[in-house]
Amino acid sequence: MVNFTVDQIRALMDRVSNVRNMSVIAHVDHGKSTLTDSLVSKAGIISSAKAGEARFTDTRQDEQDRCITIKSTAISMYFELNKDDLEDVKQKTEGNEFLINLIDSPGHVDFSSEVTAALRVTDGALVVVDCVEGVCVQTETVLRQALTERIKPVVIINKVDRALLELQLTKEDLYTSFQRTIESVNVIVSTYFDKSLGEIQVYPEKGTVAFGSGLHGWGFTLRQFAQRYSKKFGVDKEKMMQKLWGENYFNPATKKWSTKSNTPEGKPLERAFCMFVLEPIFKLFDAIMNFKKDEANKMIEKLDIKLNSEEREKEGKQLLKIVMRKFLPAAEALLEMIVIHLPSPVTAQKYRAEMLYEGPADDECAIGIRDCDANAPLMLYISKMVPTSDKGRFYAFGRVFSGTVRSGLKVRIQGPNYQPGKKEDLFVKSIQRTILMMGRYVEPIEDCPAGNIVGLVGVDQYLLKSGTITTSETAHNLKVMKFSVSPVVRVAVDVKNANDLPKLVEGLKRLSKSDPCVQCYTSESGEHIVAGAGELHLEICLKDLEEDHAQIPIKTGDPVVSYCETVQAESSVTALSKSPNKHNRLYMKAFPMEEELAVAIEAGKITPRDDFKARARVLAEEFGWDVTDARKIWCFGPESVGANLLVDVTKGVQYLNEIKDSCVAAFQWATKEGVCAEENMRSCRFNVMDVVLHADAIHRGGGQIIPTCRRVIYASYLTANPGLLEPVYLVEIQCPEQAMGGIYGVLNRRRGNVFAEEQRPGTPLYNVKAYLPVNESFGFTADLRSNTGGQAFPQWQLMNGTPLEPGKVCDIVKAVRKRKGLSEDIPSLDKFMDKL
Amino acid sequence: MSSLQGPNNFTNDGSAVIDRTIEVRSKKLAKSIQELDHIYEIERTVEMIMSGGYERIALQFPDDLLADSVEVTTVLRDRTQKKIFVLADTSYGSCCVDEVAAQHASAECIIHYGRSCLSPTSRLPVLYVFGKHPIDIDHCLEVFDNLFGQDNTIKIIIMYDVVYSYCIDKFVHKVQTDLKYTNVIQSFVKTDCNISQELKDMDNPQLNGRYYKLFEGTSIESYTIFYIGGESSTLVNVLMTCNKCKVYSYNPETRIGRQETLPKNQSFYMVQKAKDADVIGIVVGTLGVAYYLEIISHLKKLIIHAGKKPYTFVMGKLNVAKMANFMEIDCFVLVSCPENSLLDSKEFYRPIVTPFELEIALNPSKQWTGEYITDFQQLLSDANIDEIDFQPENEDEPHFSLVTGKFKQNRRYAFKDSSQDDTINNVTDLTLRNKHTSISTMLNSAAGEYLNSRTFRGLEQKIGETAVEIAEEGRTGIARGYADEQCLCPDT
Repeated sequence: MVNFTVDQIRALMDRVSNVRNMSVIAHVDHGKSTLTDSLVSKAGIISSAKAGEARFTDTRQDEQDRCITIKSTAISMYFELNKDDLEDVKQKTEGNEFLINLIDSPGHVDFSSEVTAALRVTDGALVVVDCVEGVCVQTETVLRQALTERIKPVVIINKVDRALLELQLTKEDLYTSFQRTIESVNVIVSTYFDKSLGEIQVYPEKGTVAFGSGLHGWGFTLRQFAQRYSKKFGVDKEKMMQKLWGENYFNPATKKWSTKSNTPEGKPLERAFCMFVLEPIFKLFDAIMNFKKDEANKMIEKLDIKLNSEEREKEGKQLLKIVMRKFLPAAEALLEMIVIHLPSPVTAQKYRAEMLYEGPADDECAIGIRDCDANAPLMLYISKMVPTSDKGRFYAFGRVFSGTVRSGLKVRIQGPNYQPGKKEDLFVKSIQRTILMMGRYVEPIEDCPAGNIVGLVGVDQYLLKSGTITTSETAHNLKVMKFSVSPVVRVAVDVKNANDLPKLVEGLKRLSKSDPCVQCYTSESGEHIVAGAGELHLEICLKDLEEDHAQIPIKTGDPVVSYCETVQAESSVTALSKSPNKHNRLYMKAFPMEEELAVAIEAGKITPRDDFKARARVLAEEFGWDVTDARKIWCFGPESVGANLLVDVTKGVQYLNEIKDSCVAAFQWATKEGVCAEENMRSCRFNVMDVVLHADAIHRGGGQIIPTCRRVIYASYLTANPGLLEPVYLVEIQCPEQAMGGIYGVLNRRRGNVFAEEQRPGTPLYNVKAYLPVNESFGFTADLRSNTGGQAFPQWQLMNGTPLEPGKVCDIVKAVRKRKGLSEDIPSLDKFMDKL
Repeated sequence: MSSLQGPNNFTNDGSAVIDRTIEVRSKKLAKSIQELDHIYEIERTVEMIMSGGYERIALQFPDDLLADSVEVTTVLRDRTQKKIFVLADTSYGSCCVDEVAAQHASAECIIHYGRSCLSPTSRLPVLYVFGKHPIDIDHCLEVFDNLFGQDNTIKIIIMYDVVYSYCIDKFVHKVQTDLKYTNVIQSFVKTDCNISQELKDMDNPQLNGRYYKLFEGTSIESYTIFYIGGESSTLVNVLMTCNKCKVYSYNPETRIGRQETLPKNQSFYMVQKAKDADVIGIVVGTLGVAYYLEIISHLKKLIIHAGKKPYTFVMGKLNVAKMANFMEIDCFVLVSCPENSLLDSKEFYRPIVTPFELEIALNPSKQWTGEYITDFQQLLSDANIDEIDFQPENEDEPHFSLVTGKFKQNRRYAFKDSSQDDTINNVTDLTLRNKHTSISTMLNSAAGEYLNSRTFRGLEQKIGETAVEIAEEGRTGIARGYADEQCLCPDT
């Protein structure tokens, strides 16, 4: 640990080119937090006043109890790079002192939204991969997220000690295992390749991959070994690194390097990596674990590892840990890798600016962000809210992308719905205090320049979860974060004591603030709903609600999932509905929408705000739409942004423009509450085929059109073979072969659909990948869960059947209707469809 | 596609209206004059008319009793020799006394027949004749005993649909003597209004026009309610307002006794909806219920104080199409008698709340406790608008909306107080022109904002874009059907 005063830390923040903002991301249980611990214990900054107090990263009791990270936590670290190594840093630096802001993120899929929030404020990511389990689903998810945010990755292959001690792999096997893992990382990286990021694949020989054990506190990159050997061989360090990986072999007899695995005489050669890197490690392990004291001592001396007398006494694993930690200290290697290979805010914001900013690329804010200019107008993104010790108040946690934020500064607080030039979702307020957030401690600071991570006091009442803070009146918003999870599992909560209701309402508000993903609202039947990404997420949220936010006893219902209503075919007839006065007629047809289009709309690639001509071109080129139709999209829905479209395909209808507003209003209403179960509609396209309107404006007002348009949407929906979409998890289960039968049994019972099964090379373990309906995932035993990586990506899967015919789908719809207090039967078509 | 062609019978000769069958089952209750006398309480009516010395009397029948109206009128006219009218088509619910319609005929008193919501009226003397529906008292007693059989000291209030009020004394007497229930309280309904003072005893708590006297030292929460009557808005009302009590009911028509639960409590959700609304429409759904004017002006004040914009609508019977004509309104509040105000607003484009729900939503000193008030007088006495602190200092702070789960920033419409309005006061001979060369300012107007958000803003002038034409002869007739509309669809 490093003891610093706040002023010293503040001084470091001014040299932005020496700042590194990075997050640690990985699959659950691959050892992020343990690894972070070893970094923090070496380089973590604590202000002198707080030195000696309890541990740093464990901010919540339940995180410790469950051995799972729930909230992402930011920690600042200080690192001095050797002066000689400075030349390896291929970007602008000032001096050799570095400030590293590290955010440890949760690995469990249910808390992915925390990862998203962490990624937004950082520029680089340390991807932790378990050397035994390899790249898992969640590794892929978070890596993909990082790349779409233009975050540069470096990799550490963790838990190498397990490979050595448990699996007893040979050197060559270990090498192939490493190589395979790195390959799979690079496959993902190249899939989401982004030109502007430059080279982002990871290579051990370039020093962007580290190997180690977070638990034992040791780790290395090839750089460390190259440094040792470059003197011995008299080779340049960089060249040496190249030689230490891949198809490079050293012939000890001839002292020559070769790229062939055999000598010209046909004798096999050992790979340089195995020979120079793994050999000493294997030998140390062998000597110490097999209690070959003399040999061990000899090696320890040879490697120049100083042990004190107490440490000398130790044996076996204990000794191994100490020796390895001194031989190859993890923090040293990782911090070096981070500082050398991850970009500084100055470097990163050059290419991130266009991704971050919604406005034009040439306004003062965009330029300020691009240049990471502390004197430009303030642009600050709040990515999440952190509860304070003061109940009900929150620190707004975020990153300054441009300008400088200081206490007392009058700023514009722009919520996610803010539109430039409008007053909605805009507040002009003063920042009460700016603070430095270090683990669970906060220190007030005077101001904070661009490129740094900061906490703000006094803006939490104006932003629910995230938002933009600026001083420029013309500033657009910084882009809203897109989460990879959506709150598809929900549960009704209620107070045990009726008088506590106001407390519950306040608690729901606080809960909603404290988590980037959770949603709290009241259903029409008056139930209070908490919706989260998964069962575990909900469990944690409810616990927080009961213990911290509301502090009252609450009772909870069973978790239920959200469904979406969709259509499976084109409407069999053109649906007709007449207005209440019978003077107006609307004709409509429903069509299923292309799944890719629905996904693109949900991902924000196609939005209602696009220029309609440009959007029409994209729709025509990528989704095969007719250009004329594509230009006449009236609206998206529900909430004007959802993946349902209302398209005008009429020809020459008089007064049509007058009823557009009414139809849009009806469409929002109808797509929000579908006819089957009053769930959202998804992936439906409604074509307005024809309209007959009364010649008199008074007879075609909103009152006549809105109910009629809603009815005709329902009628066309019902004639288009309705279907139900349910959310599914992508689950990945690792198990030994003999357990496969059981896994298949469980998955089958729960309507799971296995689509891939492969043996992990070099291990007796099998990887099973399957889609599991979220609805069936409840009560998966905690045991199975811990071995299961899931992805709650809002992946909607069509269920077999239609709600209109008896069967599973119909039962589900009936259950939902019953829960919502509706009549059990789906309203019949004749309620909506009229005859001529 | 012939189906896509124009309408063929937009206009009609009105025969459809004549042919239309109305969905009202009106059957004669009385089969003979004696029965008529008994059911419609002719005797009592005549006595009241004579003793009050009324000359012009209005009779108000609900649709389902219209079949008997002729006989009743004839009999009353014969016996009293006064001028007697039957009021047609009430403006609001048939449960409410239609004072306005009666005043059109300059009536001095109203006789209201059939089911009534018992809302107090303000102007005219009213005599209620509920009519007498058949009931099997012995069976009812049996059911009663089955429901409460274990415990005959249980505290029970007997409530009933007004059409059974004629036999309730007998029933309660039997419960107390034959079944030996000791803690049974009978509720009373008044059978007239503004005539006698006999039940205006303020010591008696009142609920939905029903009076009862509780035992000393007890409150309504500790009682169980036994309701005689079928499913009706009266029962729902009892359930809503006494939602802390257990309610059992006996339906004399189906002869079934059961425990009643509220079908679905939307109130809390409605309160949240009202909280989110920026523009609120006050719908006047009654002109009879006492204190309706006071409550309207109270609501208006409340809405303005909360920084929202009120509009007032006078509408007859509400329907979906009428209400959807006002898209700029975010939420409606319906001022009407308790039984009419509990309507299911699901089909309506915008939510419709009750005055009580709006009060909870906008009055920061009030909180949702689960109790429910429908009585205007009680509502008014509970809320003194001038004492409310609306916290003006952090007025622009958004609130957490439980409807959407997001923050909702309320637009605040300043109440136009012309003395404080800078924009108007500053208008002198010279006014600064803004860069769009216009001098008009939108005075923070809700309607203006709404118009701006629309894509269609009315007819455009298109000056210079369209050729000048000589005026032509237009259509004749009324909007329902113009003279030339017959030819809209020539092929049919």
